[in-house]
Amino acid sequence: MMKKTLSYLALILFSLLFIAPLFWAITTALKSPQELYLFPPKWIPSVFRFSNFADAWNIQPFNLFLKNTLIVTVLSTLGQLVSCTLVAYGFARFEFKGRNLLFLIVLATMMIPWEVTMIPQYMEFNYLGWINTLKPLIVPSWFGSAYFIFLLRQFIMTLPRELDEAATIDGASKLTVLMRVIVPLMGPSLILVAVFQMMNCWNDYLGPLIFLNDQTKYTLTLGLSQFKGMYGVDMQSIMAITCLISIPPLAIFFFAQRYIVGGIASTGIKG
Amino acid sequence: MAQTYLHPAREQSAALKALKKRRRGGAAPYLFIFPWIFGFLVFTLGPLLFSLVISFFDWPIVGKVTFIGLGNYVEMFTDDPLFWKSLMVTLKFAVLFVPLNIVVALGLAMLLNQKVRGSAIFRTAFYLPSVISGVALAMIWSWVYSGDYGILNYFLSVFGIQGPDWLNDTNWSLVAMVVASLWGQGSMMLIFLAGLKGIPKDLYESASIDGSGKLRQFVSVTVPMITPTILFNLITSIIAAFQQLTLALLLTGGGPMKATYFYAMYMYENAFKYFKMGYSAANAWFMFLIVLTLTFLVFKSSEAWVFYEGEMKRGPQKKPKPAKGGRA
Amino acid sequence: MKKQVSLIVLAAALMMSLSACGGSGGKAETAGQGGGSGSEKTLRFATWDTGDALKIEQDIAKKFEESHPGTKVQVEAYADGFDQKLAAGFGAANPPDVMYMWDFPTYHQSLEPLDSYADKDKDLNIDDFYKGLFNYGKIDGTLYGIPAGFTTRVVYYNKKLFDEAGVPYPKDGWTWPEFQEMAGKLTDKSKKQYGFGVRAENDTYDLQGFVWSNGSSFISPDGKTIDGYMNSKDTAAAIQMFGDMLKNGSAVLTGGKGQQSGDDIFKAGKIAMWESGIWPLESFRQAGVDVGTVEMPAFPGKPVKGVLAESALSIAKDSKQKDLAWEFIKFYVSDASIKMRVADLPVRQSVVNELKKDQDPLYKPYYTMLERSDNTPAFLLNPKWNEVNRQLSAAVESVMHGSNAQDVLNQAVKDSERYMK
Repeated sequence: MMKKTLSYLALILFSLLFIAPLFWAITTALKSPQELYLFPPKWIPSVFRFSNFADAWNIQPFNLFLKNTLIVTVLSTLGQLVSCTLVAYGFARFEFKGRNLLFLIVLATMMIPWEVTMIPQYMEFNYLGWINTLKPLIVPSWFGSAYFIFLLRQFIMTLPRELDEAATIDGASKLTVLMRVIVPLMGPSLILVAVFQMMNCWNDYLGPLIFLNDQTKYTLTLGLSQFKGMYGVDMQSIMAITCLISIPPLAIFFFAQRYIVGGIASTGIKG
Repeated sequence: MAQTYLHPAREQSAALKALKKRRRGGAAPYLFIFPWIFGFLVFTLGPLLFSLVISFFDWPIVGKVTFIGLGNYVEMFTDDPLFWKSLMVTLKFAVLFVPLNIVVALGLAMLLNQKVRGSAIFRTAFYLPSVISGVALAMIWSWVYSGDYGILNYFLSVFGIQGPDWLNDTNWSLVAMVVASLWGQGSMMLIFLAGLKGIPKDLYESASIDGSGKLRQFVSVTVPMITPTILFNLITSIIAAFQQLTLALLLTGGGPMKATYFYAMYMYENAFKYFKMGYSAANAWFMFLIVLTLTFLVFKSSEAWVFYEGEMKRGPQKKPKPAKGGRA
Repeated sequence: MKKQVSLIVLAAALMMSLSACGGSGGKAETAGQGGGSGSEKTLRFATWDTGDALKIEQDIAKKFEESHPGTKVQVEAYADGFDQKLAAGFGAANPPDVMYMWDFPTYHQSLEPLDSYADKDKDLNIDDFYKGLFNYGKIDGTLYGIPAGFTTRVVYYNKKLFDEAGVPYPKDGWTWPEFQEMAGKLTDKSKKQYGFGVRAENDTYDLQGFVWSNGSSFISPDGKTIDGYMNSKDTAAAIQMFGDMLKNGSAVLTGGKGQQSGDDIFKAGKIAMWESGIWPLESFRQAGVDVGTVEMPAFPGKPVKGVLAESALSIAKDSKQKDLAWEFIKFYVSDASIKMRVADLPVRQSVVNELKKDQDPLYKPYYTMLERSDNTPAFLLNPKWNEVNRQLSAAVESVMHGSNAQDVLNQAVKDSERYMK
């Protein structure tokens, strides 16, 4: 009993530690301008100004930013799921010349710092006429990312081969096997990939910063950073928007976490 | 990660050999992995090689481009104190951050791995900082760390401790950055949690029958069973430590007195503040090589300390095998 | 089989949606680059402003669209990422047509010289601009930018804190010793209240005002020598003064880039005096601070000098529609537009006179300081200043952390000599 209590105490203590930032973001968002900079800080604002959220949202076209972010997130996540499944299956279930070398390269690409390829990529996208469109943020994810390919491959490899073999003997094509036998079993790990990809997309800052110019193309994080100018920071709006745009990923995480934990467990990262 | 190497070897020795022929699907495998090959060539290899080319040039963003051979690399190693300074800062950061990150993430995962009510809520709470945008996180940390007006020193003063001006103190700023970075350990904790959940209960049972205490169980069961997860997290932590940029950029700007001037920031400033694209590309390539080497060394060492479940699980029940991964 | 079909349908749908957004994006692009090809011309205008200032700029752009049918002005707000975005744009030969600019030494090679435009265009009415503003947009005598707004730097003070300490408000013509004495009286450690705030990371550009006021400068007037200037006794003394105030506790060190800034601490009512341009004035009022402004103090027996921060407008060399860009710039610095821009100070004397800005006690010090801003900043004098400044900034920072100014400046000069050849 004693031990249980101790566990709960630790859990609650750490939770508070991790929740504190969001708590402060929320109270800051709710304060009146006069209370923002008081010291010692006021933890609970004397008046809750809920209108601050709407004000911050309407200072800039955040509905538009939300739409752009949704387009990028949905399309790139779908693309990521399809391409990574195909590629992971290819690596997991076939023997072919150069497979090990190619897979090693897949892993090595995880270590390339983004700064190395950023400038040439910018030039390339510019050549294609993609600068100031959402395409640089979407299209590359249609060709798989190393981390997810690796994750899914590990998962497929834990599935018994006999399943494929049986279907193959029945005369099904490889693609059919993948679609009808493997994919239905991949549920948790696909959810895992989808959630991680959505989080990445949703919070991506450097990509949109470099590739987008026009405010009508901006994503949420870029809109958020617009409150931080060269000569001043609108802290209150930043906190209000931060609270609002953190809700969807948090909600998704909350509901998907069961699968995520299960998903990682079954991919066999752990061996 | 090491399993990558493990499986091909295993497969070849397995009875599955007979089916191998059928699995060689001619062009089919290449069709499946084609998306990646295409993406790799266009979005990774192309730009990568181009940046290698750039690194041999004096390539200002405005003005004339001149070929200077190894000039950038020579300048970097022989004539740029900031290069060494930022490299040292990053190494220091990595030495502090990587082990701490693993300990914290593992500790939290173990807390969550107990049978407790509301674990979904606790999990979400621990993961929370990972979904907050970097711009806001930096602001929150500045509010925590401020010397006279910060919340951390406010708490310390309650206990009669006068805290330093964390971010403006050359002795403390890097430590402050490490702590701030630990906040974002959410995904690592999840991966550990999954690893812990994968440990068969019977291992603990037999250990407790043998009379091992909790600590002994942790050392002899938990740790060995999750070494592959540790390996994975170790490598991703190292990569993260070397690529650490956002927080420095938004919180300290590399100061005070370059105490948090990370290598990634040095590279970034060379490109975007001083517009020395060629030089920055050379910096970037050097960093790529360092990370590649470190990762390789970690992999190499993992032969000695990573144990694979396949062997471990069967270990106590069937005949013992050398607890070591085969390698292609 | 059903699943496979649905996958193919899904993939096809993805492809289509992509090419759809590709299509529209592509069109916008050609319009943006080609200029006259379509029925509507798009002019790209990049700014670093955010918030209210950005709103105003968008309004001006809308007014321009109204008076120029068939033209669309795409306002690109780069905010904090201004330099990265601009660098990437120039690097890929895809820059905005018109952009805000202040760092002419770095960018001038990519900018369109504007002398010929300004000379033949009488509507611009150059004589109405404050004298000296044009000098900041010139490199080697060639004009690259038209001033659109500017600010000088003044001392802000919190009236409430002065009243509480029984210290009379500072007046124009005061001196640094008086300033330091006041700062001491206004400091109350127990309340974490300080007389003044010193930035941990100063922009050396801003410090030039103090250095000039003490009769020195960072670089010789011909831009060829730093030894004896950057490390002169008077330069060191001006910088050492701030280091000393930190040491004796009458000033507090305020955060670097992303940290709790002096602006924030001033808003919290914890520093009595703060030195800055016009940017934070509005936010001080919003935070409810009873704020006053006063010109910079003088070093005894020496004239006060000020430094200007100017926002100018420039045209990219690679722009395909320079005439339209010029039209926009002209519109942007016209009386009507300047009146709309309230976030910094008007560049035209006629507007200032009409609005009686220089009569307002809160605004007057900025104009007093403008009259005192006739020195040429170092970055306009030497093309390698960026490199020298790296050393100088590090030296200044270490003074704020307790080093002796003379020593570190001597070292900085030594380390910079190789860039001076």
